[in-house]
Amino acid sequence: MKLADVMSGAGLSIYAVVALLLFVIAFLAIVVRTYAPGSTARYDADARIPFSDDEPGPASRARE
Amino acid sequence: MSTHLDTFSYDDAIVRKFLWATFIWGLVGMLVGLWIALELANPAFNLGLEWLSFGRLRPLHTNAVIFAFAGNAIFTGIYYSSQRLLKTRMFSDGLSRFHFWGWQAIIVAAALTLPLGFTQAKEYAELEWPIDIAIAVVWVAFAINFFGTLAKRRERHIYVAIWFYIASIVTVAVLHIFNNLSLPVGPLKSYSIYAGVQDAFMQWWYGHNAVAFFLTTPFLGLMYYFMPKAADKPVFSYKLSILHFWTIVFLYIWAGPHHLHYTALPDWASTLGMLFSVMLWMPSWGGMINGLLTLRGAWNKVAEEPVLKFFVVAVTAYGMSTFEGPMLSIKSVNSLAHYTDWIIAHVHTGALGWNGLLTFGMIYWLAPRLFQTPLYSKKLAEYHFWISTFGILLYVAAIYSAGITQGLMWRAFDETGRLAYPDFVETVMKLMPMNWVRVAGGTLYIVGMLMFGYNIFKTWAARPAKYDVPVISAPPLAKVYVDPHPVPAGTGVWARFTGVHWHRNWERMPLIFTVMIVLAVVVASLSEIIPTFLIRSNVPTIASVKPYTPLELAGRDLYIREGCFNCHSQMVRPLRHETERWGEYSKPGEFVYDHPFLWGSRRIGPDLARVGGKYPDLWHVRHFQDPRAVVQNSIMPTYAHLQKRALDFDGIQGRVDAMAMLGVPYGDAVNRAPAMAREQATALAAGIEATGGPAGLGDREVIALIAYLQRLGKDIRSAPVPAAGGTP
Ligand code: HEC
Repeated sequence: MKLADVMSGAGLSIYAVVALLLFVIAFLAIVVRTYAPGSTARYDADARIPFSDDEPGPASRARE
Repeated sequence: MSTHLDTFSYDDAIVRKFLWATFIWGLVGMLVGLWIALELANPAFNLGLEWLSFGRLRPLHTNAVIFAFAGNAIFTGIYYSSQRLLKTRMFSDGLSRFHFWGWQAIIVAAALTLPLGFTQAKEYAELEWPIDIAIAVVWVAFAINFFGTLAKRRERHIYVAIWFYIASIVTVAVLHIFNNLSLPVGPLKSYSIYAGVQDAFMQWWYGHNAVAFFLTTPFLGLMYYFMPKAADKPVFSYKLSILHFWTIVFLYIWAGPHHLHYTALPDWASTLGMLFSVMLWMPSWGGMINGLLTLRGAWNKVAEEPVLKFFVVAVTAYGMSTFEGPMLSIKSVNSLAHYTDWIIAHVHTGALGWNGLLTFGMIYWLAPRLFQTPLYSKKLAEYHFWISTFGILLYVAAIYSAGITQGLMWRAFDETGRLAYPDFVETVMKLMPMNWVRVAGGTLYIVGMLMFGYNIFKTWAARPAKYDVPVISAPPLAKVYVDPHPVPAGTGVWARFTGVHWHRNWERMPLIFTVMIVLAVVVASLSEIIPTFLIRSNVPTIASVKPYTPLELAGRDLYIREGCFNCHSQMVRPLRHETERWGEYSKPGEFVYDHPFLWGSRRIGPDLARVGGKYPDLWHVRHFQDPRAVVQNSIMPTYAHLQKRALDFDGIQGRVDAMAMLGVPYGDAVNRAPAMAREQATALAAGIEATGGPAGLGDREVIALIAYLQRLGKDIRSAPVPAAGGTP
């Protein structure tokens, strides 16, 4: 029996539903993980990373 | 923890290089776009020059705008923001420069080869194999440079923008390599190793994800960096940005088959593509809202800051095109929109609005920082904003209505149950006013682009004699990480899952991250690809379908060279108005010898899947010589050069051999292809002469192309019974 026979006989019509379910589960896992209590302070700190460069921006130079 | 500080500086010279390249190529790409818009409004703009004809220039426009304009814009933003987000100079200045010059060389190669007709005939993957290899090499150099920079970073936490960059870099590499696998038959010619349905599937797996991982994820990374910077506020919700990221990575990769609804692609694949596309709407809007709400409390700044105006409209355009995308992927909507200008309107909302305006906003913000002098004119930037926004509105409104008009006319029946517009050219003429409005909209956008260039140029001209290179100091990463925001550890499975320790092993995070992304992308891809290739009933064989004769194969290669597929589809969908208009719908088994597939994605001209035998040979000779002499009001370019140029008979053998290597059962032709081609050509030419046509066409290119066209749809007609199969 060839791989093509196996695949052909595998009945992939419910395939879309299975894939959909898997990804919904993965999505829910990420939601739970992200919104788990106690992480807010950390994410707020992460959100401020772009502002942690201490370069002199043009704001400190003369601007129009 | 050590208190020692490293000192270093950022490489902004490379950012300035990419910035200029963005402007220059952007202008070139848009001018080519304007030119082909003119060609559709009036075919005289083809100027009778083969290398300026629509079929040759359209790929140049799309490639220039995607890979040259958007590509260089992405690199500008990535090189600027990554160094700052990771607190380190790029890993290697040498690799940065190699990346820059390599990429520009590839663009130049594209600009030369595409008008000359060297193309793989796959949308956004037209470039031939040597250039594809060069792209892979330059991309790998970029990846090494980028991941090297990640490895030597001094900021432990990896900001969400960087995640988007990582996803883009790895996924583009995977897509590029697998869609471009082909067998070379000469220095600038190759055949896709996939055929027919499978080739179509791979192409749109690639094509859709080029939109996702070249035009969406990198720009989202840029949005998450530059928008907060410009607004001087952190992103609205960092948590939302994490969700945005993962859902985009999970979902996008599945969506490709929505480009092939109602085609010979198996039904399950297109249903899957539709489902995932519809789901994509959710994270996309999450991202848009996240971007817009970043400006909360800063709306007064938007009024006075052109940079923010550009960002607001860019993000809104992202929201509009990501609402429209899922809608277009719904089969019933798609049956109306596919092959029409509606799709063109859709991509221009994305390209001009989202990619273009985000790029302009970013560069207006960067220019004073990179050239270390205030922006030359804020007012001019303001005008640029308004003129380009207005240009987009004109363009999109016109082409929308063109698309819907076209779609409705194709499917309209009169009260007697016959097609209301049986003459295709009538539907073409109806769009002419809209085509001109598009030209006006595009012109406005380009005028804005010139204002932009002038503004940046004047800013640059006022730069200091020598750029100041600030010395930055930051502590290196500590060997042992102490979480400044520890989360109290719980007990039990649930607590360990929700407790954040297991995924906060930051030292290894970039690696884990990259692996997870690759996993998500590869698993999703393989789940669609493997069944497409292995389920037999997907492509039921049709006994009467035979390989093209050597002459027809040569003609098919001319069809590819001239880019006819940019205007003509070869795919009759199983919809009543289509079978009425064109004939029997297309079956997967018809395409088993088609390396590459030529289904096309747009019908500026009629479908050609069933054109074989529709007209006498002489009709085609006259039509190529001067389409308007045969069909008044045709907008097809003239192909008079096909009658002048001699056909390369001897080159045919190599092509037949390559096809045979790919598994096409060529039999005797592998030994005597040129001779067989000559015989067929001579007979065809004699027939044309006998019916009153010009003499001496037997060794001209046009004869091969006619042989090919006359073959289209013939095999299926000679089939005794349509083959049974599980597909529509
Ligand atoms: C700018 C778009 C465009 C390009 C490029 C183009 N065509 Fe056309 N073609 C049209 C239009 C519009 C029509 C309908 C009017 C006419 O028959 O001329 C048409 C008609 C045709 C027809 C007649 C179809 C029918 O059923 O009546 C054939 C055959 C054809 N084209 C072949 C080609 C070939 C081969 C090439 C490449 C060498 C090509 N076309 C390139 C736009 C284009």
